[in-house]
Amino acid sequence: MIVFKPLAARAAPIQSTGLIGWMRLNLFSNIINSVVTLLIAGLLLMTLPDLIDWLFIKATYTGESQDVCNPDGACWVFVNAWSKQFFYGSYPLESLWRINLSLFVLFVVVAGSNFLPKNLRYPITVPALLFMPFIGLALIDGRLFGLEYVATDYWGGFSLNVLLAAASIIVSFPLSFLWVLGRQSNMPFIKTVCVILIEFFRGVPVLALFFMGSVMLPLFFAQGINIDKLIRVWIVLVLFMSGYMAEVFRGGFQAVPAGQYEAADSLGLSYWHKTLLILLPQVIKVAMPNILATFVMLFKNTTFLLIIGIFEMLATVQTALSNSNWLGGHATEGYLFVGFIFWICCFSMSMMSSSIEKKLNKSNV
Amino acid sequence: MSETDIQIKKKPSFINNPRNRAIFYQLLLLIGLGYFFFSIISNTLANMEARGIKTGYSFLSSTSGFDILMTLIPYDATSSYFQTFVVGMLNTMLVSVIGIFIATILGFLMGVAYFSKNWLIRKSSVVYVETFRNIPLLLQVFFWYSAVLATLPSARDSLSVGEAIFLNIRGFYFPKVINEPLSILVYIAFAIAVVAAVCLKIWAKKRQDKTGLQFPVLYASLALLIGLPLVVTLLSGVPFQLEYPVLKGFNFKGGVTIIPELIALTLALSIYTGAFIAEAVRAGVQAVPQGQSEAARSLGLKEKKIMSLIVVPQAMRVIVPMLNSEYQSLVKNSTLATAIGYPDLFTVFVGTSLNQTGQAIEIVFMTIAVYFAFNMSISFIMNQVNKRVSHIER
Repeated sequence: MIVFKPLAARAAPIQSTGLIGWMRLNLFSNIINSVVTLLIAGLLLMTLPDLIDWLFIKATYTGESQDVCNPDGACWVFVNAWSKQFFYGSYPLESLWRINLSLFVLFVVVAGSNFLPKNLRYPITVPALLFMPFIGLALIDGRLFGLEYVATDYWGGFSLNVLLAAASIIVSFPLSFLWVLGRQSNMPFIKTVCVILIEFFRGVPVLALFFMGSVMLPLFFAQGINIDKLIRVWIVLVLFMSGYMAEVFRGGFQAVPAGQYEAADSLGLSYWHKTLLILLPQVIKVAMPNILATFVMLFKNTTFLLIIGIFEMLATVQTALSNSNWLGGHATEGYLFVGFIFWICCFSMSMMSSSIEKKLNKSNV
Repeated sequence: MSETDIQIKKKPSFINNPRNRAIFYQLLLLIGLGYFFFSIISNTLANMEARGIKTGYSFLSSTSGFDILMTLIPYDATSSYFQTFVVGMLNTMLVSVIGIFIATILGFLMGVAYFSKNWLIRKSSVVYVETFRNIPLLLQVFFWYSAVLATLPSARDSLSVGEAIFLNIRGFYFPKVINEPLSILVYIAFAIAVVAAVCLKIWAKKRQDKTGLQFPVLYASLALLIGLPLVVTLLSGVPFQLEYPVLKGFNFKGGVTIIPELIALTLALSIYTGAFIAEAVRAGVQAVPQGQSEAARSLGLKEKKIMSLIVVPQAMRVIVPMLNSEYQSLVKNSTLATAIGYPDLFTVFVGTSLNQTGQAIEIVFMTIAVYFAFNMSISFIMNQVNKRVSHIER
C-alpha cells in the first residue's frame, strides 16, 4: 500500500529567522534605516564606554573626604558622606526611627489595603489613610507622644518629599471630591464657587502658590497667630493638589455609565448613599491611573519647595555642594543621585498606573 | 391604590424639599465665605498697618533701582517698577515661546519615532520619554545649568565657529545683523513671498480638487520664501552688516548674547515638556484604529503619505487637547527661572520687587493675572486649532 509521506517542512531561509532575521527586519530594513542604525550605534559606542568608565569603573566609592577621589571618575564618596542628610535632612540621628516608622506605617496602610478582605477594605483603609498623615506628623514632631520635640527647621531630605506628598494627596482626596461634587451640582452659587476654586488652583503656577503660602498667608491670620512654615506649605500643596484631583475625579464621574445614576435613583437611594456607595467606588477605579499620574506630578513638584527655603532633598544637595569641604564640583554626582532616586519612584508609579490602565481596558471590553 | 396616589401627590415636607435645601446650603456657604473673606481682609489690613506696608499701585511708577541681566527693551536702574514688570513679562514670553517651539518639534519627532521600523530608534524614543518625564524639572534645570553649562570653557578659550559664533561659560554669542537703508527691500520681498506662498497653496488645492493633479507646494513655497529675499538681497548689494562679537578683556562685546540661564532653562523646559508631548503623540497615534492605516495601505498609498494624510490628522484630535495642557504647564513651569536667576516675571517681580517694596498682595495678584492671561490665550488658540482638527470628523 502506498502511504502518503509528506516531506519534512523546509526550514525558513536563514535570513528571516533568528538573530539575523530580527536584525534584518528591525535594524537594516532599508538603506536609510541601515545608515541610521550605524549612526546611532556609532554614537553609543563613542559615548557609552566613557560614561560607564566615569560612572563605575574609575569612580571612588568609599572614603572620608573628597581628596581620595579619582579626578577621572565619579566621586560617589560625596553622596556617601551626605546620604543621611539627603534622606533625613538635619533630623537628630538618634530619633531617625520616628521618620522610618512613619514611612513604614504609610507603606503598610497603602500596601495593606490589597491584602484585607473586600468587606473590610473601606471601613479600615479609608480612616487609616485619613489619620495617617496627622499621626505621622505628630510622631515626627514628637510633642504629642511625649517624645523629644524636633522643630520643623530640622526636617528635611527625601523623607520630607515623600511624607509631604503623601500627606497632601491624602487630605486632598476628600476636599477635591467635595469640590467636584459642587461643580456638578445644580446649585448655581456652590457651582460657581467650586469652579473658581478648581480653575484658580490649576491655573496659577505652583511656585506662585508657594510664595503666597510663605508671603501672603501670614498676613491673613490675626496678629499673634504664627503658623509653622511647613504647615503653610502643606495647606498650599493640599489646595493645589485638590484642583488637579478634582479634574481627575470629574473625568471619572463622566466615565461612569448614566445607567448607574439612574439605577441608584430608582432604588430610592439618597444623594449621599448614591454618591458614596455607588459612584465613588467606580469613580476611583476608573480614575486610578490618572490619580497616580497626578501624584507623580505632585511628588516631582515637592522639589520646588527648595525655592522658598525648605530643606527637601534637592535643597540638601545644594547645601552639600556649597559646603567648604566639598567644593570639588560634585554637582553632576549629586544631581545624578537625586535624579536616580526620583526616577525609580516615579517610574515605578507610572508603570503601576499603566498596568492598572491595561487591566481596566481589558475589563471594559 | 388610592393611598399611594395620595402619598405621591403630597408635597414633600418643608425640610425635605430639594429647593429649600439647595437655598439653605447655598446660604450657609455664602455666610461661611462672607465670614472667611471678612476675617481675612480685616486681618490683612490690620497686619499691613502694623508692619507699615503701603497699599495701592502707586509703587509701579517709582524707581526700581536695580539692574536686570537680560532685557528685551531698554532698561536700567532708574526705570520704574512698571518697566520691571514689562521686562519680566517679555522675558517670560521669550522663554515660553522658544520652549514651546522646541518642545513641540522634539515631542512630535520622538512620538513618531516610537512607531519607527528601526529598533534602535524605537528604543531611544522610549528611553527619552521615560527618563525625562520621571525626573523633577527643577533638578533638570540645575543639571543643565550647574553640571553641564558650568563645564564650558572660559571666555578666553571659547568654543568657536569661524571667529563669528562663540560658546563659553558666559553664554552663546553670535553676530548681530545691522540693517542698512536698502534692507527694507528685502523685508518687502519676504512679505511678498509669504503672500505668494499662501496664494500658491490655495491655487494648488483648487487645482487638485478640480483635476486631481498634485503640485509640490512645500518645495515651491520653500523656494519662494528663501529664493525671493535672497535674490533681492544680492541685487540690492547685500544691504546688511554683521557686527561680530569680539573678545575685550574678560568678556565678549558686540553681537547678540544669549545668557547661559536662558539656555539652561530653555533646554530643561523643552526637553521635559517634549517628553510629555511625545507621550501625547504616541497615545494619539495609537488611538487611530488599525483599520485606517490598513485601508490606506490597500489603496496603495506610500507609508509616508499614510502617516501624514491618514494617521496624523486623525491623531491630532486626541493630541491637540493634550498639547493645550502641556503648553500651559510649560508656561507655569517657566517660573523655575527664579532658581537659576533667569530674569523672568517671577524672578524680577515676585522676587526682587516684592523684597524691595513689601507689597505682596498687589505684586502676587498682578503676576497671577499675567500667568492666567498667558494660559487663557494659549487655551484660546489651541481651542481654535482643536475646532479645525475636529471638523475633519464626519
